[in-house]
Amino acid sequence: MSALLEVEDITKTFSGITALDNVSLNVDSGERVGLIGPNGAGKTTLFNCVLGQLNPDEGAVRLGGEELVQKSVSRRVKAGIGRTFQRIELFSDTSVREHLLIAERVRNGTGSFLKDLTGRGRPRKEEIERCDYVLELLGLRDLATEPIEKLSLGKGRLVEVGRALMTEPSLLLLDEPSSGLDRDETSALAETLRSVQAEAGFAILLVEHDVELVVSFTERCYVLDFGTVISKGSTAEVMADPVVRKAYLGTAPVEESQP
Amino acid sequence: MFAAGVFEDIFTAILQGTPPGAVYALIAVGFVLTYKTSGVFNLAFGAQAYVSAAMYFKLRVEDEWHIVPALVISVFVLAPAIGLILERFIFRHLRTASAVSKLVIAIGLTVALPALFDLISGFEAVAGLTPVGIIENGDSVFYDPFGLYAFSRDELMQMIVALGAVLGLGLMFRFTSLGLSMRAVVESPRLTELAGVPADRVSAFAWALSSTFAGMAGVLIAPQFNTLIAPDFFNLVVIAIAAAAIGRLVSLPWAFVGGLGMGIFIALFKTFLPRWTDDYAWLDIIEDNLTPAMPFVILFAVLVFWPGIRHAREGTDPLAGVDPPPPAPIASERSAGLTMATRVFGVVFFSFILSLMFFQADAFWIFLVTQAVIYSTIYLSITVMTGLAGQISLCQGAFAAIGGFTVFQMFDRFEMNVLLAAVLGAFIAAVVGALVSLPVLRLGGIWLAIATLAFAYFFDAVVVKFSWVGGGNTSLLQGTRVPRPTLGPFDFSNDKTFFALAVIVFVVVSFFVVQLREGTFGAQLKALRGSETAAESIGISPAKSRIIAFAVSAFIAGLGGAMLSIHQENVNYATNFVPLAALFWLLLVVSLSSRTVDGALQAGAAFSLFDPLILRGELFAWILRSPDRLPSFFPISGKWRFVLFGLTSVQFAKHPEGMLEYGKRKSNARIDAWLVRRRGTGDDDDPELTDSKSDAPVEETTS
Repeated sequence: MSALLEVEDITKTFSGITALDNVSLNVDSGERVGLIGPNGAGKTTLFNCVLGQLNPDEGAVRLGGEELVQKSVSRRVKAGIGRTFQRIELFSDTSVREHLLIAERVRNGTGSFLKDLTGRGRPRKEEIERCDYVLELLGLRDLATEPIEKLSLGKGRLVEVGRALMTEPSLLLLDEPSSGLDRDETSALAETLRSVQAEAGFAILLVEHDVELVVSFTERCYVLDFGTVISKGSTAEVMADPVVRKAYLGTAPVEESQP
Repeated sequence: MFAAGVFEDIFTAILQGTPPGAVYALIAVGFVLTYKTSGVFNLAFGAQAYVSAAMYFKLRVEDEWHIVPALVISVFVLAPAIGLILERFIFRHLRTASAVSKLVIAIGLTVALPALFDLISGFEAVAGLTPVGIIENGDSVFYDPFGLYAFSRDELMQMIVALGAVLGLGLMFRFTSLGLSMRAVVESPRLTELAGVPADRVSAFAWALSSTFAGMAGVLIAPQFNTLIAPDFFNLVVIAIAAAAIGRLVSLPWAFVGGLGMGIFIALFKTFLPRWTDDYAWLDIIEDNLTPAMPFVILFAVLVFWPGIRHAREGTDPLAGVDPPPPAPIASERSAGLTMATRVFGVVFFSFILSLMFFQADAFWIFLVTQAVIYSTIYLSITVMTGLAGQISLCQGAFAAIGGFTVFQMFDRFEMNVLLAAVLGAFIAAVVGALVSLPVLRLGGIWLAIATLAFAYFFDAVVVKFSWVGGGNTSLLQGTRVPRPTLGPFDFSNDKTFFALAVIVFVVVSFFVVQLREGTFGAQLKALRGSETAAESIGISPAKSRIIAFAVSAFIAGLGGAMLSIHQENVNYATNFVPLAALFWLLLVVSLSSRTVDGALQAGAAFSLFDPLILRGELFAWILRSPDRLPSFFPISGKWRFVLFGLTSVQFAKHPEGMLEYGKRKSNARIDAWLVRRRGTGDDDDPELTDSKSDAPVEETTS
């Protein structure tokens, strides 16, 4: 069986700096895979290449066998990739439910411009119900009408997850979901993610700094350093790898800047 | 083609282009300086140049002062003072505001400053009195160092002063500690503060300095113009932006080179194009029209093709996060009772206005109110573009003019029914809107705004001049006649029936705008406004949404422009649709409310009725029941509306939903709180709660 996501030998350079150098990676259906590495290792760049915010200079990205490089972000979303962001990205001036509803309606393609004009573009009952179902899964049902600005960071991350889930992804990219959360919030988030995943059956590719979360949450994991994969395998094996330990201890903890 | 002496001609053109190029360079460098130190894309630079030039003109020509004191007062006192005031009272408080909101404020100042200066100083441009330079006999004594081109003394001064100033700035940057702190502030005001440098003071100094540059440039360039009027100076700024854009707005040396290059390029173009067109007749049209449009063509080309621009993000301080975020808009929800009450009031109010129109008003008032309604229709295009899509377009005037010109051409050539022609015009405007948006799709925020400004000027300088658009040069003022329509049994040539038609058009357009806003498209635009990255990640295509927004907005503007032309029975391009007029439209709409239909309606009323009703004292006279008892300070000059609405735009950064919308939400919250208290359930009147915002769409009446 071929993997769900196949990243094959992708290289990406930014004005002379090689952010990704021949990186290959794959994720099978329903799997939870970690992607770790020190700051500036190229993790977020890899995410951007997978979802299409960036295009790699070389290499291939395939989802379920479909070649994605050079395809638009919206095409890739339709192919089944969802993602969350390291620096939380929410739509201001909307409620929690609206966030999910927008995503749901984009997926359905309901409400074209013309339908809007004739007033047939309003949300349908089953769309709202589906949003509420996902909100229920995430434990956000009570906050459905809450304005987004009032949420805590942890709840905001859940909304991001919910929004991504509405596109019915077969692969969910989580970019440092624990950043800015305390220990309890992190474990609650992991718990929720696990139960939602059990329900919906998508695969997760997780970029994370919190080693504890990676160990407890993922089955396999890849380690990136200076744009190359320095270790891969089952999470336990990787954690024991001396190369990995060296890479982690050898770098000073500085704020990662997104490329 | 390369006849003998062609190199001599090139050299001549270079000499000829250097003096204006030096002034452009001066403005471009000042512009970049402000942009870098405060993140303000200061379109008001032209207005500041105008103020200094006008002050100098007033002192030197009207009051016959000596050159030195006139120059000192206008350039070295007034100009930096304006810069300091702007920095201290406006832009210092807006560090964390988005680049777009700062741009809107700069547009406001562009409109407000010249009007304010004219009002305070009593200055009025007089045709026939031409500006003079900063040296005696500036335009009558010439020097010809190379035997190719004779520089006037004015031109020599332009070169010496401008080059000297820029050189001085360069030396200061390199060798003084103030220069060092300025370079640091440019990178990050917050980080600089951490190092113990008073960033505010450095930034204030930068404003004073760049404003002095603007004032100097204004005084230097003024002798080129026959009459001293503000729009000419605004054109200068557009040239400077093109120059600055070459250096991505951040490189001072590149801005300098760009400015100089722009002057030389234009001179070369003027020298050589006429020769080519001798051989190629089809180039004639380009020759006649393109020369005045060169700066805008260059600007547009730079924005679209210059490699750096696409990736240039708006300059933000890496430590901007330490500043508090702007306050959240106030709650827009209101109780059912209050909604009902507002609706009833709205219906009563508009019925009252309508009945006044049909039974009481004379032709004068019917004309003005009809105009208000039509302008409101045009302003709905800004509601779509800015309120819904969150983009600033400065070429709505061009879109509206397309509607007007289509009606004129279709009637003139084919005697087409003007209402049909109006709809056709709207469709043409929509197509043009979509086409304009295509090359600039990847640009966002201020770059998009500037690209639309370049298009507006290109339209103004070239497209309008084609006989198949504007009917040829001579007809611009009176020849573009348009009749009032008839549709089957309805004759709209009567003022009252046409008023009814205008109201119907407005109501229909508002209905569709509300449909869009509440439907999927509106939700997608809202998502894009909130976070483009996140919107993309759920499958929304920003490019597609933006094209649709442009097309819809242009359609509405085109329809409104056609209606306006039909109403005035003439396109009247020069008074209705020029680029500066469109800037004022934008200000009106965003300072009232760009998100709602009411906002557009109020902006239309403000545009058309504020002057006669308030400034000329009609309303006050009506309240006093006698025009004779009107205080003597009436009528107030119409320029005050530019000052008023220009300066109102300052609040845009804090309340992007608009002043009126903000006030409305606040009073709604207050009334609701008061009602709740009256009923004795004090729990809900928690200030935290009323200050938050809500997901509920803003309720409003659509007519």
